[in-house]
Amino acid sequence: MFARTLLFRLSTALVTLFGVAVVVFVLVRVAPGNPIAMMLPPGATEEDIARLTALYGFDKSLPEQFVIWLGGVLQGDFGTSITLRQPVDQLVLSRLPATLELSVMALFIALALGGAVAVIGARRRGTGTELGLDLGSAAVLSIPDFLWGLLFVLLFGVLWPVLSISGRIDPRIEFEFATRFYVVEGILRGRFDVVGSTLAHMLMPAMALALPLAAMIAQVLKQNLKEVLRLDYTNLSRVHGFSETAVILRDALQNAALPTLTLVGVQFTFLIGGTVIVERLFAYEGLGNMAIDAVINRDLPLIQGIVLVFAVLFIAINLAVDLSYALLNPRLRNG
Amino acid sequence: MTDRPTLDILQLTVTLRGGRKLLRDVSLKVQPGEVRALVGESGAGKSMIGKAVLGILPPNIKPTEGEILLDTHHLNAMTPVTRRRTVSKIASLIPQDPLTALNPVRKIGPQIVDPLIHIHGWSRDKARERARELLDRVQIRNTDRVLQSYPHELSGGMRQRVLIASAFAPSPRLIVADEPTTALDVTVQKQILRLIRELQQETGTAVLFVTHDMGVVAKISQRVSVLFAGRVMEDAATEDVFRNPQHPYTEALIAATPSYSDLNRSFSPVPPALIADLHAKIAAEEAAS
Repeated sequence: MFARTLLFRLSTALVTLFGVAVVVFVLVRVAPGNPIAMMLPPGATEEDIARLTALYGFDKSLPEQFVIWLGGVLQGDFGTSITLRQPVDQLVLSRLPATLELSVMALFIALALGGAVAVIGARRRGTGTELGLDLGSAAVLSIPDFLWGLLFVLLFGVLWPVLSISGRIDPRIEFEFATRFYVVEGILRGRFDVVGSTLAHMLMPAMALALPLAAMIAQVLKQNLKEVLRLDYTNLSRVHGFSETAVILRDALQNAALPTLTLVGVQFTFLIGGTVIVERLFAYEGLGNMAIDAVINRDLPLIQGIVLVFAVLFIAINLAVDLSYALLNPRLRNG
Repeated sequence: MTDRPTLDILQLTVTLRGGRKLLRDVSLKVQPGEVRALVGESGAGKSMIGKAVLGILPPNIKPTEGEILLDTHHLNAMTPVTRRRTVSKIASLIPQDPLTALNPVRKIGPQIVDPLIHIHGWSRDKARERARELLDRVQIRNTDRVLQSYPHELSGGMRQRVLIASAFAPSPRLIVADEPTTALDVTVQKQILRLIRELQQETGTAVLFVTHDMGVVAKISQRVSVLFAGRVMEDAATEDVFRNPQHPYTEALIAATPSYSDLNRSFSPVPPALIADLHAKIAAEEAAS
């Protein structure tokens, strides 16, 4: 049963990816701007232009171009970046770890902050503390991630410069990376100076991405907690002498987490979307930052590659959310 | 009857935030080994009494006057922490709806065992042993399988048995049974009622039995308190109440109870005029005081 569900999900994922590929392929080509024009110096001859156009296959019809590109993709060839003159898959894979580490750190911050605020709010329900937390999270929620980013740059980069505002790691650190997962590799190889520097660089962009999501988690989880805390099984735990905090953590949290999870899944994909601007803001060498360059330079193969990777990420996250339901909810395990 | 009651409620008043009194001057005793029924229609405040004793009133409802003595402990004078510990050692609860009274994401085993460890400081083995013993007693076959089950894998009647076992497991001196049969279908109701009565008689536990059903009152209780609009209308031995009800409201409640053994016996709802009359009387008393 489980295997069948998974198979179904994977096949729908393939259809989705194909759709994304078609849309992106067509969009970047009908949008104004000529990639060839961006590559040639002023004063290039008609002949040069025609040669280069033919080289990249832009002289063929749209469907023809698509079939050629898709044929390549199916064989693992995502084309060559026009501006960087390197295979797209290599470029994308070299940047993806940076974005993954940043997004996951932001997700952890959002879960920890939002979860803590929700638990405190539920514990102090009906009091001024709850009201204060509600107002606070509403305020946090109304400010978008890139504004938080700007605010942090101003506060901790300029006025009180304690954190680095650009890059991914202190360039003075000497370390031969075998992978691009700086944090993971730093931990595994016991180089905590590397881990520390990377985390310090990630802290501000991750906070900027995390705060709106944290506020949303705080509100929704607290509401769900309050509903669960009215149910009889929490009353039974109180009669058994457990403190209100223990009742929240032992009985209510897992039950309240279930409906919150859907939200976290959807919002996490938005968070990853947010990396595009926030990475740019902090000159963080991730996929989002590369995406902006690719769009500015009309680097069509690179844009396509990046968008496909984002699409795969989103699908994977939604699948992970669905699977974690079964983990948290025994009623779904045999379904 | 021994010297001191297991539960002694003295002129308890419970107030909703905003000042409305949900219980007013409620007094009642439950002697050791006695089953005291609390009867009244919905909204009369009968469940509120049990909740006030156990300390599980909703946050916006507070006991404002009166005393609750649980086995001589003055509950209302205690700090929340001491109160909680004291109540957990002496009293337990059989809740109304077995479908919402078990945590859906935890297995049955820990839901019976963990409270025993928490209340009495028993070892896990001892608590587990006790849980098995009680599950056996409530006629659950396949004890090990049930302990390993999630609530949704059991029927409503099975869940209520589990909850009864769990309520008796810590050997409490008082059990608050909050309409424990209301959510069950009629055939299961009878079995559950019989089970509670048997266990109560074997263990000698005092029970505060909340119900709206005079038929249930007759079957299970020795004494009964009749509630209306948060007040005790009548407090008497169950036998006397049925033979010779002192209050017109009690009489009407008895007349409103259908009989399953005698289907030809007529029954009639509590007359609205009587209810209006009682409300008017209460309003007049309140205006005078």
